[in-house]
Amino acid sequence: MSSQSITHRQLFFLIFQTQIGVGVLSLPYSLFVKAKTDGWISLMLAGIFIQFSLLAIWKLCNRFPKSTIFDILPKIMGKPLGFVFNFIYTLHFAFISILILALYNQVVGKWILFDTPHWVIIFIMAFTGVYFITSTPREMARFFTIVTPLLLILLGLILYAYTDLHLLYIFPVGSVGVSNIIRSSSDAMVSLLGFDVALVFLAYTSGASNKKLKVLSFASLSVTLIYLFIVVTTYMYFNPLEIVIVPEPVLYMLKAFSFTVIERTDLIFLSIWIISVATSFISYLYVASKGLQTLFKLKKHESAAPFIALFCFLIAIIPNEKLEILTWNKYISMTSLLFSGIAPIFLLLIAVIRKKQEKGTASS
Amino acid sequence: MTFFKKPKKLKQEAAPVHIEEKGVNTENKTEEKTTIDDVLSQVKKPFGSTDDLVTQIIELPGDESKLAFLYIESIIDKQLVQSQIINPVFEISHENVQESFDQMMNLALKKQTDFTKAQSLLLQSNTLVFTEDTSCFYSLATPVKTERDITEPDNETIIRGAHDGFIESLSINLALIRKRLKTPKLTIKYLRVGNETHTTIALLYVDNIANMDYVKEVERRIRSIEADAVYTPGNIEESIEDKPFSFFPQILSTERPDRVAANLMEGRIALVYDTSPTAHVMPVNFFTFYQSVDDYNKRWIIGSFFRSIRLFSFFIAMGLPAVYIAIVSFHFEVIPFGLILLIKSSLEDIPYPPLFEALLMELTIELIREASIRLPTRIGSTIAIVGGLVIGDAVVKAGLVSNLMIIVVAITAIAAYIVPSNEMSAAVRILRFPFMIAAATMGFLGIIFGIMILLFHLCRLYTFGAPYFAPLAPFKWKDFKDAIIRVPFWMMNRRPQDLQTQQESLDNQTRKWDKS
Repeated sequence: MSSQSITHRQLFFLIFQTQIGVGVLSLPYSLFVKAKTDGWISLMLAGIFIQFSLLAIWKLCNRFPKSTIFDILPKIMGKPLGFVFNFIYTLHFAFISILILALYNQVVGKWILFDTPHWVIIFIMAFTGVYFITSTPREMARFFTIVTPLLLILLGLILYAYTDLHLLYIFPVGSVGVSNIIRSSSDAMVSLLGFDVALVFLAYTSGASNKKLKVLSFASLSVTLIYLFIVVTTYMYFNPLEIVIVPEPVLYMLKAFSFTVIERTDLIFLSIWIISVATSFISYLYVASKGLQTLFKLKKHESAAPFIALFCFLIAIIPNEKLEILTWNKYISMTSLLFSGIAPIFLLLIAVIRKKQEKGTASS
Repeated sequence: MTFFKKPKKLKQEAAPVHIEEKGVNTENKTEEKTTIDDVLSQVKKPFGSTDDLVTQIIELPGDESKLAFLYIESIIDKQLVQSQIINPVFEISHENVQESFDQMMNLALKKQTDFTKAQSLLLQSNTLVFTEDTSCFYSLATPVKTERDITEPDNETIIRGAHDGFIESLSINLALIRKRLKTPKLTIKYLRVGNETHTTIALLYVDNIANMDYVKEVERRIRSIEADAVYTPGNIEESIEDKPFSFFPQILSTERPDRVAANLMEGRIALVYDTSPTAHVMPVNFFTFYQSVDDYNKRWIIGSFFRSIRLFSFFIAMGLPAVYIAIVSFHFEVIPFGLILLIKSSLEDIPYPPLFEALLMELTIELIREASIRLPTRIGSTIAIVGGLVIGDAVVKAGLVSNLMIIVVAITAIAAYIVPSNEMSAAVRILRFPFMIAAATMGFLGIIFGIMILLFHLCRLYTFGAPYFAPLAPFKWKDFKDAIIRVPFWMMNRRPQDLQTQQESLDNQTRKWDKS
């Protein structure tokens, strides 16, 4: 077992922590825009769809054990086309990192540090990322594991909302129609992004292949359920008319709670949330640096780390208005849907049709 | 100091001398006979003109043959030489002199034929005896007793438990450990480092428990040390630790034999030194530094409570000033309504930013600490009163520092000294400065990023190949038993997993009577 390999449990936490990220704060709002109070159904649909994507990812990686997506692409598409797709995927992962940086910057600038220049806020995240990704997936997974209990604090804080809930707010169910619910589920998919890093991390996982699938789908399921809990809680806490005007419903909800020892719980929530954002960012940055390593045929991904971080940092400081970030969000979300959600299924189809698979693996 | 300087000459001159000597020895059998004086001058040559190298020549009672005693006066026990060597020589009966003399020499002394060893034997407090037979000489260890009594180490006192501690003698230190671990499996390897100082290090491990990979790694690192002088265990520690640029101690230093013995039985490796009461234990993890012998002599609930208090103190000592700075300079809104007026009134008249206040007070505390270490206890307490009470009170009254900051700094200082390991306490005290600066520039965000980087640093730190932050990272639930809490003795039935010991299970059925 090489020192880079990770166990099933570590894979679980890698995927779990990558999936939980920026989306937590704005998910209820972005779902509400299209699907109204049926947003939670969209979320569940997205969760189910992700399970299919994961199945495809797992199947694909299973055909090429110990290979990352960047090794697999040239194998199934031939070298020149594989190189082009490697480039596209690297860019794709880098742009998800950038989107995370931009959204994180937006929230931090709005809620915690009002006067700090944006580039400073982005810089500190981007270069903390460099320190993290110059390690191995195993060490990252260890870190992701020990910060996971912090999520319990987040959930505990949200649980406090149950002292003041109105069950009737989420009714009637299904009022907006099936088409709206399905259209909204694409927004939910974006918040659930993070499962796609499995394309790289599966290569490092040792152990039974069937168990890997179980771990992947369980990680994704847990995240979907946690999000469902958050979405349903906020829908029951806020009046449907209120949600439209609060883009970060979770924070507004927590802002209302005050305890005798602490006044603004939302700041505590945000501090812990930053760790969750960082884990997502780190995962994507790692994957992107792996891509850069393959593109430039570097010996170690460590040497690519500062450059990819610098790239993300420079791009992420460009958008400085809320509307700009929203447009970015829209486009990157679309490409993510394409490359993370749908592309694995097509890649698997290509691999099956062209009968490409690594020697020694059982054909299925 | 002269003692340290002298061996330098030995190195420069020893090599050619020995070659000559061998030449002399082989020659003398064939050609003319070398006298005892020739041999003596050859052996003495590297020492130059040191005055404490004493040669004592006596003539045997019966015949004309001479005996020469050679020793370094300052490091041998003269009475021992007298009673063990010189007196028996004179007690030899006058009849068959040669026979009884040989008998005596072989019984009491060690016959040496390797003349190259003569100098190092002399330096190790041996008395050498040369006879007319120049092909060999005799040696007897006659070290002078210069050790202090075995006392409890001042820096690691405990309430209940054994009160003995290591001293500056390797053999006594080893005895203290052997006394506790009466098992043939306890293996001791002597290693020498320092080309000139010839410092002896004893490497200890329990043969059927410790992971041999770690043992080999420790031995390899020590053997690779090439230095003229190795004075202190600190030199060794710096030479063999994994990440010299980390803030965290990666080797446990202790003066307590019970702590070393317990760690050995857990599967760790210890280094015990001559001339230093400090022993090193490795590979250790972060939580080893928070274990105290006291925990095991208390009732387990109380022991667990204090263990967790200690771990909690890590966060207080490191983070409390930072959190305070972040709150008062960035996040005033976190403070509940009742407190806000109180804090505001305390802070209002302070002319400079909280970071400066905090740095001022933290540095003052470090000054007081550093000053009181070197002073005798009687003056030390005066310093504590002047430093702590007078400065603390006056500084607030003068309006330089706020009341609250004094409270924060005081709690932080106390928390930093709760750690049973001095090295870890120092690491925590240093770490709070970057945290304070991060908090002053970015508020909570800075603290969070500081914590993330710190945690990740701990996650990727290895000592001799064992993960440093075990059992948290990698997460091993079963190893929490003796890390964050201290479960009862009868429940500790496994050795820590991160040490990858040869025997993971511990036979700990101490409450069998309860089952029936």
